[in-house]
Amino acid sequence: MIDPVFQSTNYQLARKLLDAAALRHEAIATNIANAETPGFRRLDVAPDFAQQLRAQVLAGELSGSSSSLQPKLSEDTSARSLRPDGNTVEIERELLTMNRNAVEFEYLSDLVSGNLKQLKLAITGRG
Amino acid sequence: MNLISGIDITAGALNAQKTRLDIVAQNIANAHTTRTANGGPYQRQVVSFESALLRQAGIDGPARQTVRIGSIVPDRAAGQQVYNPQHPDANAEGLVSMPNVNLSYEMVDLITASRAYEANLAVAKNARSMAMKALEIGK
Repeated sequence: MIDPVFQSTNYQLARKLLDAAALRHEAIATNIANAETPGFRRLDVAPDFAQQLRAQVLAGELSGSSSSLQPKLSEDTSARSLRPDGNTVEIERELLTMNRNAVEFEYLSDLVSGNLKQLKLAITGRG
Repeated sequence: MNLISGIDITAGALNAQKTRLDIVAQNIANAHTTRTANGGPYQRQVVSFESALLRQAGIDGPARQTVRIGSIVPDRAAGQQVYNPQHPDANAEGLVSMPNVNLSYEMVDLITASRAYEANLAVAKNARSMAMKALEIGK
């Protein structure tokens, strides 16, 4: 009976995106730690994660059974190095991405909380 | 997976940068030390970092690496010779061998290390607030 709340597309989507945000934070931590490592190539969440997620949402595969799609990290091959040591980390960009990721995480966790609160309201009849 | 994602990576980097700051402090403090336990003037110490593998490449992507202190070695470059016959460490010609510490280099190193430390600290703070937010889900 409570399945519709936990298997709505938005709830499932928020779950996947929260996983991705936590993983992206790990990538940013690695990038900033290695900002001075020669030849280091920056990590980011693999771009095909967003594409596959969008395809699953459009095809309606996300609600219902839990999908097996998991975010993973990969080296960012599009980043170009302007430095003689071949490192592709730009610290300002990493800090901005980190802040954006934190806001995204906050929004998504509020969304999930909101879903759960609605369910609680429906069960108890009080907020 | 950690509760606070990536905190071990950040911890390694913070520790490495802190050591670098300590070494800069030591170099500046000894900028005029003309006599050491090994004899001769103080030699500037240089820190080098190395990558350390934290987690093997797995289902969630490539290996995670942090940084740690690789080695702390003395800079073998010769220091300046200053003419000062009154100095207790002056040689027969009145020349004193000064340490090879260059304050400009040390200051640049100091700023680089402290900025890198700040950036890593910002990551740690952010990781903490994300973890707190995740614990509040459903409240």
